[in-house]
Amino acid sequence: MIKKRHNTVAIVVVLLFGFGVFYFGTDGFQAFTAETARTNKLIEEKPQFPNVTFEDSKERVYTFDEFENKYVFITFLYTACTDVCPQLEMNMHEVYQRLPVEAIGEDIVFLSISFDPEQDDPRTLEKYRGFFGSDGDTWRMARIPDQAELDRLLDEFGVIVIPEENGIFTHNSAFYLVNREGQLEEVMDYTKPEEAAAKVEQYLQDEAGDE
Amino acid sequence: MTQAKYGLVLLIFLILPPVANLLESIMIIHMHMQMPLLVIAGLLMAPFFQAKFPSFFNKWNENGIPGIMLFIIIMSYWSIPRAMDDALAISVVEYFKFVSLPFLVGVPLRDSWKKLSDFGKNLTFIIFLIQFTVMGIIYIASPDQLCNNYIRAEQVTLGWGFITMAIAIFIYLVQLLFINPSDYE
Repeated sequence: MIKKRHNTVAIVVVLLFGFGVFYFGTDGFQAFTAETARTNKLIEEKPQFPNVTFEDSKERVYTFDEFENKYVFITFLYTACTDVCPQLEMNMHEVYQRLPVEAIGEDIVFLSISFDPEQDDPRTLEKYRGFFGSDGDTWRMARIPDQAELDRLLDEFGVIVIPEENGIFTHNSAFYLVNREGQLEEVMDYTKPEEAAAKVEQYLQDEAGDE
Repeated sequence: MTQAKYGLVLLIFLILPPVANLLESIMIIHMHMQMPLLVIAGLLMAPFFQAKFPSFFNKWNENGIPGIMLFIIIMSYWSIPRAMDDALAISVVEYFKFVSLPFLVGVPLRDSWKKLSDFGKNLTFIIFLIQFTVMGIIYIASPDQLCNNYIRAEQVTLGWGFITMAIAIFIYLVQLLFINPSDYE
């Protein structure tokens, strides 16, 4: 009988230990891939958008303060990209269209940031902008000419960009939503524009309810 | 005790940084070669611990069930994509890999296996048959890159590795129904 009890105790200890391993290994059963873990951490930490200087497709130069007190819906791209980026921008366009017209430009601004400042000068961006229905004002396309500033932003927002040969980059893609205080609020799946639009709309509505 | 020495040599060899880096550079080799070899190192070292602490194993793993559960749980942990990325990125997780696979998987497996009934053994195979099939499908069919350190093509290869092992287990289980091993002894 006593022997049996030891066995049972051992089973309980094993189960608790196993639970612990899985719990700590997956952030409490939240993240079974490292990418999810990274995104969850970003949303939790809400990093501040660093102070960078943009140059947009209309050759205007400004800092992030330009968007003060507005939500900013952000994607990261480079115009020579042939696979993911066009899809990313098309889906961004879908989010843009799904949001209420009165909110666009007033409560929220769309911003596509190039991480290839050498190739993507204002002229290239101006041309690229036309393909995706961006008006250049409520949806801007801009580069960050200063490489150090750009690297800092990519690092803070967890954008992984690895330059390869022939001007190609390997990079991860997502929709980023920065709140009115300039903090990263959400990182969303760019392949699901409907969900992203619904989420953004929820943020705008919640605010309207508060007022 | 020569077995235990071979086990220890194998473990030390696998921990050597050039060997570890090489095995970890390819996804399927990381999961389906380095990890099983670590388990084998533990299997070989098990007799040493059994001889050293006989009462511990008799007392706490009397019917083999706690040991086999530990084996299944830790094996399952090492089959999730996050565990592989973390083992490459976080050194504590890397150490845990080199400790848990030999000592919490290999050793208990050898101690438990003889104590288990045929039903217990077959149930263990069935659990792994299901797990490997499901993991195989996940790694093959997932549209996303599951590991930050490995590209999707490697992920699909790994998935097929899981399916191959599931097929092998399936064949083993099916032959049990038709073949009586004692006929051949």
